[in-house]
Amino acid sequence: MINAVIADDEVLARHKLRQLLREETDFDIVGESATAAETIDLVRLTKPDLLFLDIRMPGMDGFDIIGALSADADFVLPRIIFTTAYDRYAIRAFEIHAVDYLLKPFTAERLHSAVERAREQIQNSAQTTSPNGGPDPADSPYTKRIVFKSRGRILFLHVSDIRWIGAEENYVRISTESESHLLRETMTRLEEKLDPQMFLRVHRSSIVNLQYVKEVRTEKDGEFAVLLANGQKIAMSRSYRSRIQGWLQR
Amino acid sequence: MSIVEKIRERSSPLLMHPAIFVGGFIFLGMLFGLQNWITEHTWGYKVNLFLLLRAWIVQYFIWGVICWLIWFWLGRSIQNAGLPWILTRLIPLSALVSVGEEMVWVLCFPHLPLGMHMSYWQRLRFELDGEIIDNFLIFWLVIVLFRGVDYYQRYREKEGAAAQLSVQLAQAQIRALRMQLNPHFLFNTMNSISSMMRIDVPAADIMLEQLSSLLRITLERGETQLISLSDEMEFMEMYLALQDRRFAGRVRQEVRVDPALHDALIPAMLLQPIVENAYAHGLSRLDRDGVLTVEVGRERGRLKVTVLNTGVGLNPAPRKDVQSTGVGIANVKNRLRLHYGAQQSFSMYEAGTHKVQVTITFPLQFSVNPTPTLTGYGV
Repeated sequence: MINAVIADDEVLARHKLRQLLREETDFDIVGESATAAETIDLVRLTKPDLLFLDIRMPGMDGFDIIGALSADADFVLPRIIFTTAYDRYAIRAFEIHAVDYLLKPFTAERLHSAVERAREQIQNSAQTTSPNGGPDPADSPYTKRIVFKSRGRILFLHVSDIRWIGAEENYVRISTESESHLLRETMTRLEEKLDPQMFLRVHRSSIVNLQYVKEVRTEKDGEFAVLLANGQKIAMSRSYRSRIQGWLQR
Repeated sequence: MSIVEKIRERSSPLLMHPAIFVGGFIFLGMLFGLQNWITEHTWGYKVNLFLLLRAWIVQYFIWGVICWLIWFWLGRSIQNAGLPWILTRLIPLSALVSVGEEMVWVLCFPHLPLGMHMSYWQRLRFELDGEIIDNFLIFWLVIVLFRGVDYYQRYREKEGAAAQLSVQLAQAQIRALRMQLNPHFLFNTMNSISSMMRIDVPAADIMLEQLSSLLRITLERGETQLISLSDEMEFMEMYLALQDRRFAGRVRQEVRVDPALHDALIPAMLLQPIVENAYAHGLSRLDRDGVLTVEVGRERGRLKVTVLNTGVGLNPAPRKDVQSTGVGIANVKNRLRLHYGAQQSFSMYEAGTHKVQVTITFPLQFSVNPTPTLTGYGV
């Protein structure tokens, strides 16, 4: 069972969350709060696994609440999903390792994906039994998540959700299962941030997530191509071929 | 006003700067002196060039100083003078200056004319005999110059103001046109959501989220007129997603953008009215298999946008809501004209049976400071 607290100063907003969370059968909403002080007391009392937190609250803002809660070193912070109408706090939320950042109004689908993520993290940390959830993420020089804005939303994208990345001049296009996002970024910079155990550059203008590679095939004209599990075909250049062969022999 | 400030003020335009003004007179004197010397020379007289130059240059230097002082004290009055002022003040002044200048000059050259020993008054009469007409001429020419300077300045000011005004007007017009677009589009979408609410609540929920995202982007953009193509296409993709939901499966959308043009500049919200038009007058009349193609490419150094839709051709049986046609399109045309003048083109024509194509071209420009990377990396 996952214990959750909903903190939002608006009744209707809390009501919507409560209603949508009914779909998640393993969720138990242990309390609701409408002000910063109430939230701090409630979280200290109930020690929930997950906190849905509005950033703009009477008294203090969401970040102040987290600051107040983490002042007590023994207290284990719950996972946090921010819910807000403002997109300007996204990077700050990302930096304090929030699970997700939901821009109001959000759809049931969007909430569901945030909840999935939270569930995953909570279960992982339960398995490792370490208080802060697994090995210190700072151990790895590679990024696990990317935050960016796309089509008016904030996305905390897990790199494992990326199928492949294509270059488009000064931009890169990141494709996930259902969507693609255009980011102002260079392939080289992105490649540096990505774990080479997981991602492989197969062409000057494409990087694939090896998790989703189904096969490497030779085309009729002697060129090589990478076939993804969803049927997408990505050209591979000769200069990068040795890399994938090295990987296949592992 | 201190004297220094006044001198500075009266030194505009540059021609009226004391050094340049008096310098101009000295130059003139030098030319006359030289001409005088050449004339004497051709007639066989031997005259000392240095003496001649000195006499002429001093003459015109005195003129320059007097005229600049007149400009300094009386310039404004001369520029605004009416006939009575000219008759009662300028004519006496012209006599005074013409004689006065000669008096100073005669004082400077006591040994001229050469070889004649005359008293100061005799010499003055001698010089005035030969030069009084020239002096009057110089005086009145300078007065004409002062008035000319004034006319020129006023003309320049007027021209500058007119140019500034037309820029302001164009900006105001563009702003007004953009203001028209948002509510138009907003209410249409809200209307769709309202009707969707009755049939499919989750779908209405999604549309509401999409509309919020669209508004968020528009608000963030503020009044920026020209935005990068990637921003405009992001907006378009969201708009197309909304439309796709409204026309559930009846229209296939194709978007093709040349990746080299992501940073090209395009007037904000240029495409949305065109696509809206394609849906309203073409695609909406189809039950299925509609096709909408949006393409952005480069053609001979210009940006070319084409929007192609199937449906009915142009000018089908007139509909009653014809009034609503063209507000968006006229808006697009106006904004293109205001931004690019004669350097843009807009055309709407039938591209085959029951297909309508809109083609827009305008000069290709790239944003000087493209949007910074806002991507964050972490755990």
